[in-house]
Amino acid sequence: MSTRPEPLKILTVCGVGMGSSLMLRMSVEEVLKRMGVAAKVEATDVSSARGMKADVIVGQGLHTEEFTGKAPVVVGISNFMDKEGLEKQLTEAFRSEGWME
Amino acid sequence: MTDDLDGAVLVARAHRPADDWRAAIHEACAPLLDAGAITETYPARCVALVEEQGPYIVLAPGIALAHARPEDGVRKLAVAAVTLHDPVEFAHPDNDPVDVVFAFGSPDADQHVDLLSSLAGHLLTGLADRLRAADDDATAQRLLEEVRNAP
Repeated sequence: MSTRPEPLKILTVCGVGMGSSLMLRMSVEEVLKRMGVAAKVEATDVSSARGMKADVIVGQGLHTEEFTGKAPVVVGISNFMDKEGLEKQLTEAFRSEGWME
Repeated sequence: MTDDLDGAVLVARAHRPADDWRAAIHEACAPLLDAGAITETYPARCVALVEEQGPYIVLAPGIALAHARPEDGVRKLAVAAVTLHDPVEFAHPDNDPVDVVFAFGSPDADQHVDLLSSLAGHLLTGLADRLRAADDDATAQRLLEEVRNAP
């Protein structure tokens, strides 16, 4: 259990860092706002992300697998439009880190 | 919205044929090539990126967002939307089959941010379904033009 960093540093990742990761950044920002969690969200490509430090990494499952253990929270999603699913995944992950009640 | 959106090239086409995902990406890039927004090398780069990185461009069920990098041959900020006559498989674990393919190009790392933000917002309010229901290019074009305005 740990204290949640304020603001959370979040990376959304995809192959190029321009398209999918940007769409995902928008969904993540909206969901975190709803959850009342302060965060700085940055969209980037997978190879840049390998050299970056973050509290949370969000991307498609095929990209996030390799990040397991590299950040406290790693969330793989398949549908950027499913904000309820994203909120559920983030909430569960934050709870298991002790970042949320 | 910004001047960038006013000046962006938007082109939509309805019910295009494509035998597989590679053909679907080329079909989505074709209107951008016709409009002079991308160079002839760009569509093949969009295909190559999926071959290299996997089918992550299928970002929601039935919807793909094809693109490559600015240096791969982009002249103008542009988005195309193409619906497919028959859906194609991208070998995505969850989001196949795909019948709405967007292609975009940005001349640099920043110009597309507002445009894609607007596109994301319109997708969340059902743009893909509205495009699927469009029977001709003119109807699809009118629907895509909504992206110039914030959702």
